[in-house]
Amino acid sequence: MKKIAISFVLSFMIAVVSFAQLDRSQFPKSGPAPEIKIGEAETFTLDNGLKVFVVKNDKLPRVAFTLVLERDPLLEGDKAGLTGFVGEMMTGGTTSRTKDQLDEEVDFIGGSLSAGSTSIFASSLKKHQTKILELMADVLYNPVFPQEELDKLKKQSITALATSKDDPGAISSRLVNAMVYGKDHPYGEVTTEETINNITVEDIKKYYETFFKPNIAYLAIVGDMDKAEAEKVVNEFFAKWEPGDVPKFTYKTPERLEENVVGLVDRSSSVQTNINIVQPVELKIGDENYISSRLVNQILGGGSSSRLFMNLREDKGYTYGAYSSISSDKLIGEISANAAVRTEVTDSAVVQFIYELDRLVKSGVTEEELEKAKSNLAGSFGRSLESPSTIANFALNTERYNLPKDYYATYLQKMNSYTVEDINKAAADLIQPDKMYITAVGNGSEIKDKLTQFGEVRMYDNMGDPAKEIEMADASMTAEKVLENYISAIGGDEAVSQIKAAKLVMAADVMGNPVQIAMTFDDANMRFGQKTMVMGNVMQSSTMVNGKGSISAQGQTIEMTDEQYEEAKMNAFFIPELHYAAMGYATQLDGVKDVEGTPAYKVIISNPSGAKVINYYSVESGLKIKNENEKAGDTFYSDYQEKNGVLVPMSWTMKSPMLPVPLEAKIETLEINPTLTEADF
Amino acid sequence: MRKFTALGILTGILSIPAFAQNKIEFKEFDLDNGLHVIMHQDQSTPIVVTSVLYHVGSKNENPERTGFAHFFEHLMFEGSENIERGQYMNIIQGRGGTLNAYTSNDITYYYESLPSNELELALYMESERMLHSKVDETGVETQREVVKEERRQRYENQPYGTILPETLKRAYSKHPYQWAPIGSMEHLNAASIEEFQQFYKDFYVPNNATLTIAGDIDYKQTEDWVRKYFSEIPMGKKDIYRPNVNEPKKTEEIRDVIYDNIQIPAVIQAYNLPPKTDEDSYALSMLSTYLTGGASSLMTKELVDKQQKALVVAAIPLELEDGGIFIMYSIANMGVEPKDLESEIDKLILQVQEEGLSDQDFTKLKNIMENNIVSSNSSMAGIAENLAEAHAIYGDANYINKVMDAYSKVTKEDIQRVAKEYLDLKGRVVLYYLPKAQQPAQ
Repeated sequence: MKKIAISFVLSFMIAVVSFAQLDRSQFPKSGPAPEIKIGEAETFTLDNGLKVFVVKNDKLPRVAFTLVLERDPLLEGDKAGLTGFVGEMMTGGTTSRTKDQLDEEVDFIGGSLSAGSTSIFASSLKKHQTKILELMADVLYNPVFPQEELDKLKKQSITALATSKDDPGAISSRLVNAMVYGKDHPYGEVTTEETINNITVEDIKKYYETFFKPNIAYLAIVGDMDKAEAEKVVNEFFAKWEPGDVPKFTYKTPERLEENVVGLVDRSSSVQTNINIVQPVELKIGDENYISSRLVNQILGGGSSSRLFMNLREDKGYTYGAYSSISSDKLIGEISANAAVRTEVTDSAVVQFIYELDRLVKSGVTEEELEKAKSNLAGSFGRSLESPSTIANFALNTERYNLPKDYYATYLQKMNSYTVEDINKAAADLIQPDKMYITAVGNGSEIKDKLTQFGEVRMYDNMGDPAKEIEMADASMTAEKVLENYISAIGGDEAVSQIKAAKLVMAADVMGNPVQIAMTFDDANMRFGQKTMVMGNVMQSSTMVNGKGSISAQGQTIEMTDEQYEEAKMNAFFIPELHYAAMGYATQLDGVKDVEGTPAYKVIISNPSGAKVINYYSVESGLKIKNENEKAGDTFYSDYQEKNGVLVPMSWTMKSPMLPVPLEAKIETLEINPTLTEADF
Repeated sequence: MRKFTALGILTGILSIPAFAQNKIEFKEFDLDNGLHVIMHQDQSTPIVVTSVLYHVGSKNENPERTGFAHFFEHLMFEGSENIERGQYMNIIQGRGGTLNAYTSNDITYYYESLPSNELELALYMESERMLHSKVDETGVETQREVVKEERRQRYENQPYGTILPETLKRAYSKHPYQWAPIGSMEHLNAASIEEFQQFYKDFYVPNNATLTIAGDIDYKQTEDWVRKYFSEIPMGKKDIYRPNVNEPKKTEEIRDVIYDNIQIPAVIQAYNLPPKTDEDSYALSMLSTYLTGGASSLMTKELVDKQQKALVVAAIPLELEDGGIFIMYSIANMGVEPKDLESEIDKLILQVQEEGLSDQDFTKLKNIMENNIVSSNSSMAGIAENLAEAHAIYGDANYINKVMDAYSKVTKEDIQRVAKEYLDLKGRVVLYYLPKAQQPAQ
């Protein structure tokens, strides 16, 4: 009896213990997938054709109004860039409010109001909704498009364009667009200074009058407002909006290549190559392959555990990140795989990109990869629903793409139903790895030859135009001859050799502040002085005398090392070409290049320790038009004028990563062979 | 993990403590081991945010071992007895979630957002972290390297990146707020593994933590799972160390120059603030918005648009439990001398102190604040964080429902009064950030 009792107690105790003991070695399993309840948007249409979606969400007492125009993409032609100005021009003032008044009234209620070429957005707390609607309607009906606002926008835009000409990311995107779509397609055309300057207030007005019509517009109302109230306010503010005919446009669909082609922009200062491997794809929301394309992309390069990232970054260390995307669009979408890689591994990286595209199409994906991609996308789909504007977007897409009513309600169900076979088929349908545009922006002289193995290499310039294929008409040309021609172009040996020294002052403007640069050259005695002044204060200066150099800023001085001195010396002569030979510099002719539209001989000058500067001399005039220097940036020379029998460039445009915008400096005073004293340096 | 740290706080503070006019409902309970649990149900979206706030920040550190709290924020992703090294993030992401963490002078905060059917996983993961996280040599070595990179990226390599540490160092003579959460690399290098393990035992205990769950949850089921995974975690054995130091009021200005890898000079001014929970915090927060919040604010309009002396100007109240600092920073426009910019800033501060603000500006300010407060409570992640902070710092989770009231009590005169009382030009820190090129040779 006792035994039994003990064993009973024991077993009871064990039971208790095992009940309390949680097995922590097993991860909790996922619960049943939650039903994703996607809120319905209510809709109604005004007599003028304006379609309204209302997504009521009264969690917070605020409301947002988004007006969207659905028009065909536009080819802006010689006014490219026009649509980029429309929004800010519309909020630039109305018949009853200046821009400042508009800003103040919006701020006063803590609201926000903005516009684009196909949209106006306004939001505020519920209690200020009448005010914000009044302001929104004012912008919609009564914009005055002030000339001074357009002038300001043009100026900003030209400054931004100048910066983008040197930005490898921007160059890469122009290159891709030009190659894939062509410049006669809305997605391929390029905005230039010229097209920006062509835009007038009249053009903006005409755009506004043509496209801001209720019959092509959707209004999404999200927040604390129900349908009944929405009908009331929409009628009050938008019923008087008059409909009108809006033109339609069609475009030729870009075709795929027959075989891989390489597009290259030579950006000789690059230490990285921006690779973007692209193919157009006909894909829009609701297409059979749309949801599967999300999964395909997630596995290929959608994130930091995708194949491209794991291969090119984690395994090979070629790059900080490698990704892919598959975009969808009513007109035409795009498959893209991209990374910025070290110059030396450019060709190896392209090999890996093509390997991954090929492997995806030929060998397909694994069950595990697919499951992970599904969880990942389902998670972000779920999280996106937290924002009520997602529901409005869904309603809008359902209308725009004519989707089944339950498209988004059953989105995850559809996604989860895809098998490995389905995804493999979709990948093969979407991607043709042997018909790719392989684009690269990088140091051409280092990478061009290595890229020929992937297909014909086509050269482009930084604006996406085919690089003027410039052959050296004169095959017997040498660096020495280019330099000789330059000397004779500026006045000939005799006149040039008379120039021993020069003193000049240049004026420029940096973001509204006048800047002066003074330079003194004493070529005969190898002395050089330079001062940069802002509003009369010397910001920075440098001096090279007696074989030593120093740089100063506000009275503090740093001595140059010998190596720095030797490198600085390469640009420290007024006419450096006269001294290359004496200094023992090597010169090398690297063909004819296109410098902003002018064919020019590229001459690389190296000092004995390997420092380099690059000069470009116009083929036609023989004049030096550009100097490239890794440390100081690029200088463009123009407006040559005769001084003491020698042509001198009076306009210097300097571009460098240190300068926020290109510095356009003009020589204001110039003395040739002045009398110089120690005090001048 | 790496997203926010001290500097993240500096910018993150721009968002105002959350609030919604619509009341936030929640339930609370405590476990026997002292863990405080807050649950907020919102079934509109099938997601759930799970967070744990540990009431430990850089102020709880040993002055000889600064950087520990932030270092732990990294270490706590190393894994646990049951979670393999490096897998913490992969597990959450593989179930469709995202996660993050940050460390301030006062708290360390971890959160994950997952589909609502993964709540049990989230609770398991956080309980593993609290019960037996990996605190070993390998993890410490790995994370030392990561923290070094973070330091480089966020402070050393970042123009103006050292503003917060350099300012704190001078703003506090006694209080441990004098060091920033990033702390000292030398201290971390010198620390033994036992010291790290002790820190974990001292501060990563349920009685120093607030667990918050917000989203599409069932209250009963959630409570059951919380008990299942967290009940067995032992309570901390000693009292939690919290510094009890009064920072003396400054009686003179502390002025210094920092040479940094920058092109354009910056002017920093810092004024000591009352404790975060002080009534005056609301008026000070409104004052900062009046000075630099938005394109039509006093200083932005005057210094950036009209005079064009500054590229940017910002007033940020860095509110801390024992009294933070009101930082004003401004970057000079091309060719503008720092002292010229500083004197213009001072003129505007004096203007507010002497003349106050107009009725029109005060109404505008109230409207902007109201919109900000309402909008700041629009996500589950935001609500979870604000509930946790309301409990841990304000001692009452329901503080979340009282913020708007507190702001609406502030008068125009209060704003002028706090400007006079706290922005004392004679008892502040002023730093000039200048380009290294201007540094006198040593």
